[in-house]
Amino acid sequence: MKSLLATLALTTALTLPGLAMARPVTLTTTLNDYGGDGAYLVLYVTDASGAYVGSLWMAGGKSKYYEHLSDWYAATGGDPAQINGITGASVGAGRKLEITLDLADALFDAGYTLHIDAAVEDMRDSPNEIAVPLTTAGAGTPVPGRRYIASFTYQ
Amino acid sequence: MKKLFPILALAAALPAGAALADDDDCRVPAENWQPREAVMQMATTQGWTVSDLEVDDGCYEIEGRDKDGRRFEAKLDPATLAIVEMERGDDDDNGRAADPAPAGTVAPPPNGLFGSDAPPVVVTK
Repeated sequence: MKSLLATLALTTALTLPGLAMARPVTLTTTLNDYGGDGAYLVLYVTDASGAYVGSLWMAGGKSKYYEHLSDWYAATGGDPAQINGITGASVGAGRKLEITLDLADALFDAGYTLHIDAAVEDMRDSPNEIAVPLTTAGAGTPVPGRRYIASFTYQ
Repeated sequence: MKKLFPILALAAALPAGAALADDDDCRVPAENWQPREAVMQMATTQGWTVSDLEVDDGCYEIEGRDKDGRRFEAKLDPATLAIVEMERGDDDDNGRAADPAPAGTVAPPPNGLFGSDAPPVVVTK
Protein backbone atom coordinates (compact mmCIF):
# COMPACT_ATOMS: atom_id res chain seq x y z
CA MET A 1 0.00 0.00 0.00
CA LYS A 2 2.81 2.33 0.90
CA SER A 3 4.45 1.72 -2.42
CA LEU A 4 1.15 2.44 -4.19
CA LEU A 5 0.83 5.77 -2.42
CA ALA A 6 4.42 6.59 -3.20
CA THR A 7 3.85 5.72 -6.85
CA LEU A 8 0.73 7.86 -6.96
CA ALA A 9 2.53 10.77 -5.35
CA LEU A 10 5.41 10.46 -7.78
CA THR A 11 3.24 10.20 -10.89
CA THR A 12 1.10 13.12 -9.72
CA ALA A 13 4.18 15.22 -9.10
CA LEU A 14 5.50 14.38 -12.53
CA THR A 15 2.18 15.01 -14.27
CA LEU A 16 1.12 18.33 -12.77
CA PRO A 17 4.11 20.39 -13.89
CA GLY A 18 3.61 18.92 -17.35
CA LEU A 19 0.07 20.21 -17.42
CA ALA A 20 1.21 23.64 -16.31
CA MET A 21 3.90 23.86 -18.98
CA ALA A 22 1.62 24.37 -21.97
CA ARG A 23 -1.20 26.73 -22.82
CA PRO A 24 -3.90 26.58 -25.47
CA VAL A 25 -3.11 29.15 -28.14
CA THR A 26 -5.11 30.07 -31.24
CA LEU A 27 -3.11 31.17 -34.28
CA THR A 28 -5.29 33.11 -36.72
CA THR A 29 -4.05 33.83 -40.24
CA THR A 30 -6.28 35.89 -42.55
CA LEU A 31 -5.42 35.94 -46.25
CA ASN A 32 -5.88 38.76 -48.72
CA ASP A 33 -8.04 38.42 -51.83
CA TYR A 34 -4.89 38.01 -53.94
CA GLY A 35 -6.77 36.41 -56.83
CA GLY A 36 -4.94 33.09 -57.10
CA ASP A 37 -5.10 29.43 -56.10
CA GLY A 38 -4.99 28.22 -52.51
CA ALA A 39 -1.91 29.33 -50.58
CA TYR A 40 0.62 26.97 -49.06
CA LEU A 41 1.53 28.29 -45.59
CA VAL A 42 3.97 26.93 -43.04
CA LEU A 43 4.12 28.17 -39.45
CA TYR A 44 7.40 27.48 -37.67
CA VAL A 45 9.50 28.70 -34.76
CA THR A 46 13.10 29.88 -34.47
CA ASP A 47 15.06 30.49 -31.27
CA ALA A 48 16.84 33.63 -30.10
CA SER A 49 19.82 32.88 -32.36
CA GLY A 50 17.55 32.47 -35.40
CA ALA A 51 17.98 28.70 -35.53
CA TYR A 52 15.01 26.60 -36.63
CA VAL A 53 13.33 24.85 -33.69
CA GLY A 54 10.30 23.16 -35.22
CA SER A 55 7.08 23.52 -37.15
CA LEU A 56 3.56 24.15 -35.87
CA TRP A 57 1.43 23.69 -39.00
CA MET A 58 1.75 23.08 -42.73
CA ALA A 59 -1.19 24.15 -44.90
CA GLY A 60 -0.71 22.18 -48.12
CA GLY A 61 -0.12 18.45 -48.47
CA LYS A 62 2.12 18.01 -51.51
CA SER A 63 5.82 17.88 -50.74
CA LYS A 64 6.83 18.82 -54.27
CA TYR A 65 5.71 22.39 -53.61
CA TYR A 66 7.54 22.82 -50.32
CA GLU A 67 10.69 24.22 -51.92
CA HIS A 68 8.63 27.36 -52.59
CA LEU A 69 8.33 27.87 -48.83
CA SER A 70 11.96 28.72 -49.18
CA ASP A 71 13.12 29.75 -45.71
CA TRP A 72 11.42 26.76 -44.11
CA TYR A 73 12.77 24.50 -46.85
CA ALA A 74 16.30 25.82 -46.35
CA ALA A 75 16.07 25.03 -42.64
CA THR A 76 14.53 21.58 -42.96
CA GLY A 77 15.40 20.27 -46.42
CA GLY A 78 11.67 19.63 -46.76
CA ASP A 79 11.86 16.75 -44.28
CA PRO A 80 8.29 15.36 -43.93
CA ALA A 81 9.09 14.22 -40.37
CA GLN A 82 8.98 17.90 -39.41
CA ILE A 83 5.30 18.14 -40.33
CA ASN A 84 3.88 14.64 -39.97
CA GLY A 85 0.61 14.94 -38.06
CA ILE A 86 0.45 18.72 -38.44
CA THR A 87 -0.39 19.03 -42.13
CA GLY A 88 -3.71 20.04 -43.66
CA ALA A 89 -5.22 21.65 -46.72
CA SER A 90 -3.96 24.80 -48.42
CA VAL A 91 -5.92 27.99 -47.68
CA GLY A 92 -7.99 29.87 -50.26
CA ALA A 93 -7.66 33.57 -51.01
CA GLY A 94 -9.66 35.68 -48.59
CA ARG A 95 -10.08 32.79 -46.12
CA LYS A 96 -9.16 32.69 -42.45
CA LEU A 97 -7.14 29.80 -40.97
CA GLU A 98 -7.58 29.22 -37.23
CA ILE A 99 -5.22 26.75 -35.55
CA THR A 100 -5.73 25.93 -31.87
CA LEU A 101 -2.97 23.94 -30.16
CA ASP A 102 -1.22 23.42 -26.84
CA LEU A 103 1.91 25.52 -27.06
CA ALA A 104 4.78 25.05 -24.61
CA ASP A 105 4.95 27.87 -22.04
CA ALA A 106 8.72 27.99 -22.39
CA LEU A 107 8.34 29.53 -25.84
CA PHE A 108 6.94 32.80 -24.52
CA ASP A 109 9.14 35.76 -23.54
CA ALA A 110 12.28 33.74 -24.26
CA GLY A 111 13.43 35.10 -27.62
CA TYR A 112 11.48 32.68 -29.82
CA THR A 113 9.96 33.95 -33.08
CA LEU A 114 7.02 32.53 -35.01
CA HIS A 115 7.42 32.71 -38.81
CA ILE A 116 5.08 32.09 -41.73
CA ASP A 117 6.34 31.33 -45.26
CA ALA A 118 3.71 31.55 -48.01
CA ALA A 119 3.54 30.44 -51.65
CA VAL A 120 0.84 30.40 -54.32
CA GLU A 121 0.91 28.54 -57.63
CA ASP A 122 2.15 30.71 -60.51
CA MET A 123 2.63 33.67 -58.16
CA ARG A 124 5.69 34.98 -56.37
CA ASP A 125 7.01 33.10 -53.33
CA SER A 126 6.81 34.92 -50.02
CA PRO A 127 9.17 33.47 -47.41
CA ASN A 128 9.14 34.92 -43.90
CA GLU A 129 5.96 36.85 -44.67
CA ILE A 130 5.27 36.97 -40.94
CA ALA A 131 7.94 37.06 -38.23
CA VAL A 132 6.51 37.82 -34.82
CA PRO A 133 8.23 37.44 -31.43
CA LEU A 134 6.32 35.13 -29.08
CA THR A 135 5.65 37.30 -26.04
CA THR A 136 2.89 37.40 -23.49
CA ALA A 137 2.40 41.11 -24.21
CA GLY A 138 2.14 40.56 -27.97
CA ALA A 139 -0.77 38.11 -27.70
CA GLY A 140 -3.90 39.44 -29.37
CA THR A 141 -2.11 42.11 -31.40
CA PRO A 142 -2.62 41.64 -35.17
CA VAL A 143 0.55 41.67 -37.28
CA PRO A 144 0.22 42.64 -40.98
CA GLY A 145 1.68 40.45 -43.72
CA ARG A 146 3.35 41.62 -46.95
CA ARG A 147 1.87 39.78 -49.90
CA TYR A 148 -0.76 37.08 -49.29
CA ILE A 149 -1.44 37.46 -45.56
CA ALA A 150 -3.66 40.34 -44.44
CA SER A 151 -2.99 39.76 -40.75
CA PHE A 152 -1.80 37.23 -38.19
CA THR A 153 -2.73 37.03 -34.50
CA TYR A 154 -1.91 34.64 -31.67
CA GLN A 155 -3.83 34.59 -28.42
CA MET B 1 15.93 55.95 -67.93
CA LYS B 2 19.36 54.35 -67.92
CA LYS B 3 18.49 52.66 -64.65
CA LEU B 4 15.30 51.20 -66.06
CA PHE B 5 17.04 48.83 -68.47
CA PRO B 6 19.17 47.01 -65.88
CA ILE B 7 16.06 46.60 -63.73
CA LEU B 8 14.09 45.17 -66.66
CA ALA B 9 16.98 42.89 -67.55
CA LEU B 10 17.18 41.70 -63.95
CA ALA B 11 13.43 41.01 -63.85
CA ALA B 12 13.64 39.04 -67.10
CA ALA B 13 16.57 37.04 -65.75
CA LEU B 14 14.76 35.94 -62.59
CA PRO B 15 14.37 32.16 -62.60
CA ALA B 16 10.97 30.67 -63.23
CA GLY B 17 11.30 29.03 -59.84
CA ALA B 18 10.54 32.37 -58.25
CA ALA B 19 6.88 31.47 -58.62
CA LEU B 20 5.22 28.26 -57.48
CA ALA B 21 4.98 26.43 -60.79
CA ASP B 22 5.89 22.94 -61.83
CA ASP B 23 7.35 21.65 -65.06
CA ASP B 24 4.89 18.76 -65.05
CA ASP B 25 1.76 20.89 -65.46
CA CYS B 26 -0.56 20.17 -68.39
CA ARG B 27 -1.95 22.98 -70.51
CA VAL B 28 -4.65 21.49 -72.70
CA PRO B 29 -7.79 23.33 -73.88
CA ALA B 30 -10.99 21.93 -72.38
CA GLU B 31 -12.36 20.84 -75.75
CA ASN B 32 -9.39 18.51 -76.25
CA TRP B 33 -9.81 16.61 -72.99
CA GLN B 34 -10.62 12.93 -73.15
CA PRO B 35 -13.42 11.78 -70.79
CA ARG B 36 -12.71 10.12 -67.44
CA GLU B 37 -14.00 6.84 -68.89
CA ALA B 38 -11.12 6.90 -71.38
CA VAL B 39 -8.69 7.35 -68.49
CA MET B 40 -10.16 4.39 -66.64
CA GLN B 41 -9.99 2.30 -69.80
CA MET B 42 -6.33 3.23 -70.28
CA ALA B 43 -5.65 2.31 -66.63
CA THR B 44 -7.30 -1.07 -67.10
CA THR B 45 -5.16 -1.68 -70.18
CA GLN B 46 -2.06 -0.95 -68.09
CA GLY B 47 -3.20 -3.36 -65.38
CA TRP B 48 -3.62 -0.57 -62.84
CA THR B 49 -6.01 -0.60 -59.90
CA VAL B 50 -7.24 2.98 -59.50
CA SER B 51 -8.07 4.24 -56.02
CA ASP B 52 -8.45 7.91 -56.95
CA LEU B 53 -8.82 9.90 -60.15
CA GLU B 54 -8.75 13.67 -60.02
CA VAL B 55 -7.55 16.72 -61.90
CA ASP B 56 -4.37 18.41 -60.64
CA ASP B 57 -2.19 21.07 -62.30
CA GLY B 58 -4.31 20.74 -65.44
CA CYS B 59 -3.54 17.01 -65.75
CA TYR B 60 -5.47 13.87 -64.89
CA GLU B 61 -3.93 12.42 -61.74
CA ILE B 62 -4.34 8.76 -60.83
CA GLU B 63 -3.48 7.16 -57.51
CA GLY B 64 -3.49 3.41 -57.26
CA ARG B 65 -1.44 0.26 -57.65
CA ASP B 66 0.31 -1.04 -60.73
CA LYS B 67 0.03 -4.58 -62.08
CA ASP B 68 2.71 -5.68 -59.58
CA GLY B 69 0.77 -4.23 -56.63
CA ARG B 70 3.11 -1.28 -56.09
CA ARG B 71 1.58 2.04 -55.07
CA PHE B 72 1.96 4.85 -57.56
CA GLU B 73 0.69 8.27 -58.52
CA ALA B 74 0.64 9.20 -62.19
CA LYS B 75 -0.13 12.39 -64.05
CA LEU B 76 -1.59 11.99 -67.51
CA ASP B 77 -1.86 14.44 -70.37
CA PRO B 78 -5.64 14.96 -70.63
CA ALA B 79 -5.59 14.92 -74.46
CA THR B 80 -3.21 12.06 -75.25
CA LEU B 81 -3.33 10.20 -71.89
CA ALA B 82 0.45 10.01 -72.09
CA ILE B 83 2.18 9.70 -68.71
CA VAL B 84 3.59 13.12 -67.75
CA GLU B 85 4.90 12.07 -64.35
CA MET B 86 5.04 8.81 -62.42
CA GLU B 87 5.78 8.59 -58.71
CA ARG B 88 6.16 5.22 -57.01
CA GLY B 89 6.16 4.22 -53.35
CA ASP B 90 7.36 6.77 -50.82
CA ASP B 91 9.70 8.74 -53.05
CA ASP B 92 9.08 10.08 -56.50
CA ASP B 93 11.45 9.71 -59.41
CA ASN B 94 13.16 13.01 -58.62
CA GLY B 95 14.11 11.83 -55.15
CA ARG B 96 11.76 14.26 -53.45
CA ALA B 97 10.52 13.43 -49.99
CA ALA B 98 7.22 11.69 -49.41
CA ASP B 99 4.13 13.74 -48.67
CA PRO B 100 3.72 14.21 -44.90
CA ALA B 101 1.15 12.35 -42.83
CA PRO B 102 -2.04 14.44 -42.50
CA ALA B 103 -3.07 15.79 -39.10
CA GLY B 104 -4.96 13.28 -37.01
CA THR B 105 -3.25 10.23 -38.51
CA VAL B 106 -0.13 10.45 -36.33
CA ALA B 107 0.89 12.52 -33.30
CA PRO B 108 2.55 15.92 -33.86
CA PRO B 109 6.36 15.74 -34.13
CA PRO B 110 8.33 15.67 -30.85
CA ASN B 111 9.91 19.08 -31.45
CA GLY B 112 9.30 20.49 -27.97
CA LEU B 113 6.75 23.04 -29.20
CA PHE B 114 3.62 21.06 -28.43
CA GLY B 115 2.35 20.58 -24.90
CA SER B 116 0.56 17.34 -25.77
CA ASP B 117 0.19 14.68 -28.45
CA ALA B 118 -3.22 16.07 -29.38
CA PRO B 119 -3.31 17.27 -33.00
CA PRO B 120 -3.99 20.96 -33.54
CA VAL B 121 -7.63 21.84 -34.08
CA VAL B 122 -7.88 23.65 -37.39
CA VAL B 123 -10.81 25.59 -38.83
CA THR B 124 -10.86 27.45 -42.14
CA LYS B 125 -13.51 30.14 -42.48
